[in-house]
Amino acid sequence: MLNARWAKSGLAMLLPIVLIVLWQLAGHDGALAGGALPTPDRVWKAWLIWGFGTPGPMSLSPYIGNWIDAVAFSSFRVAKGFAMAIVVGIPLGIVLGWSKLAAALVDPTIQWLRPIPITAWLPISIAIYGISDFGAIFLIAIGAFYPIVVNTTQGARDVDKTWIRAALMMGASKIDILRRVVLPAALPAVFTGLRIGLGIAWTAVIVAEIVAVKSGLGYVLWDAYYVGRMDIVIADMVSIGLFGFMSDWAIVQLEFALLRWRRLQSFNA
Amino acid sequence: MSTINFTQVAKTYGDVRALDRVDLTVREGEFVALLGPSGCGKSTLLNLVAGFEKLSEGTMSFDGRPVTKPGPDRGVVFQEAALLPWLSVWENVVFGPKVQRISRAEYEPRATEILRIVGLENFHAALPVQLSGGMRQRVGIARAFVMQPRALLMDEPFGALDAQTRLSMQALLLDVWQSLKTTVLFVTHDIDEAILLADRVCVMTARPGRITRDIPITLPRPRTLDALTSAEFTRFKAEIMAEMRGVH
Ligand SMILES: Nc1ncnc2c1ncn2[C@@H]1O[C@H](COP(=O)(O)OP(=O)(O)OP(=O)(O)O)[C@@H](O)[C@H]1O
Ligand SMILES: [Mg+2]
Repeated sequence: MLNARWAKSGLAMLLPIVLIVLWQLAGHDGALAGGALPTPDRVWKAWLIWGFGTPGPMSLSPYIGNWIDAVAFSSFRVAKGFAMAIVVGIPLGIVLGWSKLAAALVDPTIQWLRPIPITAWLPISIAIYGISDFGAIFLIAIGAFYPIVVNTTQGARDVDKTWIRAALMMGASKIDILRRVVLPAALPAVFTGLRIGLGIAWTAVIVAEIVAVKSGLGYVLWDAYYVGRMDIVIADMVSIGLFGFMSDWAIVQLEFALLRWRRLQSFNA
Repeated sequence: MSTINFTQVAKTYGDVRALDRVDLTVREGEFVALLGPSGCGKSTLLNLVAGFEKLSEGTMSFDGRPVTKPGPDRGVVFQEAALLPWLSVWENVVFGPKVQRISRAEYEPRATEILRIVGLENFHAALPVQLSGGMRQRVGIARAFVMQPRALLMDEPFGALDAQTRLSMQALLLDVWQSLKTTVLFVTHDIDEAILLADRVCVMTARPGRITRDIPITLPRPRTLDALTSAEFTRFKAEIMAEMRGVH
């Protein structure tokens, strides 16, 4: 059991390690692509300084010892925007899936607004909120909202009729039905929406930080590019991947805990 | 006093006349079986009483009042149990009392007792997927009984079970019913099951769905599975089979 888990982790690490080694070997003079791309050892050194260095009085580099700040800014923005998307998206999706009238009223509008990419919302966001934290959070919330609401609606719409009949027969009120039948029945679909939404949230935070705020991993990414620090650009990209992966993993863990019934039903149980 | 009363009831789905001019009276404490071929409108009739569907013509009442919506005074046992798959056995059984805001002190002993009666005292924490079909159906029955309904509406509750399990479920239902004497409307297409369990068997025909015969089953109570092999039983069976084949 434990051995199998280690073996799986080992397999998962194999490809990244091979890629990193190839990348290292392909570079000469510590660089690739005519000097544009630094090799992993340089990236790693820059990352260590970015993470743990202490800026001296004379140091000019802005990438010393403040990696955690960039990570924290981006992560909190994602968390806040994602939370807003959830708070609006899940209840709205449940109601849209349940009520034909609500769906007829609201669903077409959602479908028309949905194709507008978050990048197209940037000017409006900046016009309204300026260069501010909330502008970024607003973009993240919009981006994550659509997959959450669309999947939740679908899940709520597909609820087995006999479950609802059974609950009605036992004396459940409308609220009981929504909370105790439709929501749990829609939960597998809700989680699909959450995972897609979270991916979009990370895209949105980087875009927003490149254009509309002056902090976070997205800001550092673009700023480092401007000053020619490709080692920091790559370290930044890997950081985004890492935190995106970890937040997704957290959702998968939650799903694992909440949807035991679903797992036991499935073929791979 | 009559619990369920149908007067000249019809139910149509578009052009399909699922039920046509149905008259049916079920008295308090009576066990009535609806017997008929697939598609003759048995489920439709039951769903009208349950309040899941609205009738098209005629009148129908439950406990003297027209049925407008489903409610815990009519416990329904569904063909495939229809348990909520994310809830444990215990949570499924106490779902009704809970949403009715009945106090825990009141429902807990009742739910424990009913789960013991249906033989699931060691499965409180199991999820429906972890149970066999027969066990799931016993949870469905427990869930209906725990509400102490005025009537039980059962739609082919044992239809999906193997012969062996089916017999033991029938014995269980006989036991439970004979001690509680709830009014039961029981849908089946199994002649033996109808005769074994019911006080009256209402035979239905399809297209349009109608009750063609109402046969009192005078087998003595309390009954056990032994009734299945009695001479009287065979006589009822012959009569019903003749009716279903259209021989008079
Ligand atoms: N929701 C519906 N929409 C349209 N037609 C329906 C609907 N429900 C039932 N019917 C039709 O009404 C008729 C009676 O159906 P019903 O389900 O009551 O039959 P049944 O006697 O319960 O059959 P079975 O033994 O197969 O369950 C059938 O012809 C069926 O096609
Ligand atoms: Mg049926």
